[in-house]
Amino acid sequence: MLKVEALHASYGGSMVLHGVDLSINRGEIKALMGRNGMGKTTLMRAVMGLLPIRSGKIIFDGKSIHGLRTHEIAALGLGYVPQGREIFGDFTVWENLQLSMLKLPRAERKIPEVIFQYFPILASRKYQKAGSFSGGEQQMLAIARALATQPKMLLLDEPSEGIQPSIVDQISEILKKINADTGITILIVEQNVDMVMETAINCAFMEKGRIVETCSIEALQENESIIACHIAV
Amino acid sequence: MDFSIQILNGLNYILVLILVAMGLVIIFGLMRVINMAHGEFFLLGAYTVVMTDHAGLGFWPGLFIAPVVVGIIGMIIEYLCIRHLYQRFLDTILATWGLSIAIKQLVIVIFGPAGLMIKPPLPQLVSFMGIEYPAYRLFIMAVALMTIGLTFYVFLRTDFGLGARAVIANRDMAAVLGINTRKMYRTTFTFGSALAGLAGAVMAPLMSCDPQMGLGFFIPAFLAILVGGTGTLAGVLVGGGAVGGADSLISFIYSPVISQIVVFSLVIIVIRIRPQGLLGSRGRG
Repeated sequence: MLKVEALHASYGGSMVLHGVDLSINRGEIKALMGRNGMGKTTLMRAVMGLLPIRSGKIIFDGKSIHGLRTHEIAALGLGYVPQGREIFGDFTVWENLQLSMLKLPRAERKIPEVIFQYFPILASRKYQKAGSFSGGEQQMLAIARALATQPKMLLLDEPSEGIQPSIVDQISEILKKINADTGITILIVEQNVDMVMETAINCAFMEKGRIVETCSIEALQENESIIACHIAV
Repeated sequence: MDFSIQILNGLNYILVLILVAMGLVIIFGLMRVINMAHGEFFLLGAYTVVMTDHAGLGFWPGLFIAPVVVGIIGMIIEYLCIRHLYQRFLDTILATWGLSIAIKQLVIVIFGPAGLMIKPPLPQLVSFMGIEYPAYRLFIMAVALMTIGLTFYVFLRTDFGLGARAVIANRDMAAVLGINTRKMYRTTFTFGSALAGLAGAVMAPLMSCDPQMGLGFFIPAFLAILVGGTGTLAGVLVGGGAVGGADSLISFIYSPVISQIVVFSLVIIVIRIRPQGLLGSRGRG
């Protein structure tokens, strides 16, 4: 579904990605782990066209998306839930979701009912300002907003950050359900080991701008030293 | 009685100022471009009316085509120049400043440096509440109010407005959700230019149209934005009201020179205390 080859990118003048190779299969839930500052967020932003790429390839759904503008990449079916959620705090839930559909003709612009089945809380708070929500609720809105763009693949950047554990579990469950129901491919950048174990099928580890190891979640469960080696401080 | 006429004149000035400032703030909010040529869009609007008047078509057709003409000029300028300078804040200031000088010189070459007058389109006086007031000034207020209302409607109630507000709040996320930000920039620049063109056209009969006339509105409009803040459209109303109101009042009581000094000082005090403006929030860059 998504294939990144020998990707080099810099952020703020210094090289952050030194030849990233990463591939995610259709329908897979893959986790990307690594310590802070290893380039995970930069990779996500580069894929979304929010950062210029120095060299390398990004292939999404059989097409090279290198050099496309962000809205074109989104239109091909990549939904992005950024770190810190970045919902529009001054807008209502409804407006936040509506934004994802502005590119569609007006007649087709209906928020898919299934989104409210995954996140019932959003249905009851449709006309509340998103800024008044708790971190967990904002995260749900951010995921719902990405889903409303009707993506083939979701990129999530640290969805558990700053969210209470019970909600993290809930979000894990919902992501698995979305994946099972719709077959949407998911790449999730995470530092929360429990969430990764709970949600993902495979896991890649990033160190200093490169992918250093990829393994299945079963392998991780059997041999926890892999995690210790790559992310424990 | 004299005073109530002054209040109406002040209101007149405030509304036109808001019209000019609104174009400026919309362009800045979305594109992070300070359009130094905004005053010259005002100028071009006024000269469009001068041209139709001198061509014998009169004032009214000019009033309608001025925003269209200036909007198209804005769109061309966006395409040829501004588009290549996004994310280069200082360069856009220099480029639009250069553009401002070029437009002024072009107007001097074509029309000469002298002030041109046009025939008053509505010379009659209207009497109400014990005063007599020029009908044309009432017309200006109505046009300005309607245009301000329409702009608010577009930005607060339409899909385009929702997208535009999203770009203002968080450009990257708006793009991630599929909004074509470049297209939005072009539309916005065109719309903002058209607003300045309309303001210039509607003010032309009250002013002597000369190549420097844009500056007289660009500077106070700029101050209005500094005072009101750039995050919301409502900031323009507050800023325009404060700057335009203070200017009119002090000019009437003392003199325009003292008024300039006082208004500038007040603006400095406001931005010293609230750098983000009265209604602004500390937004992202």
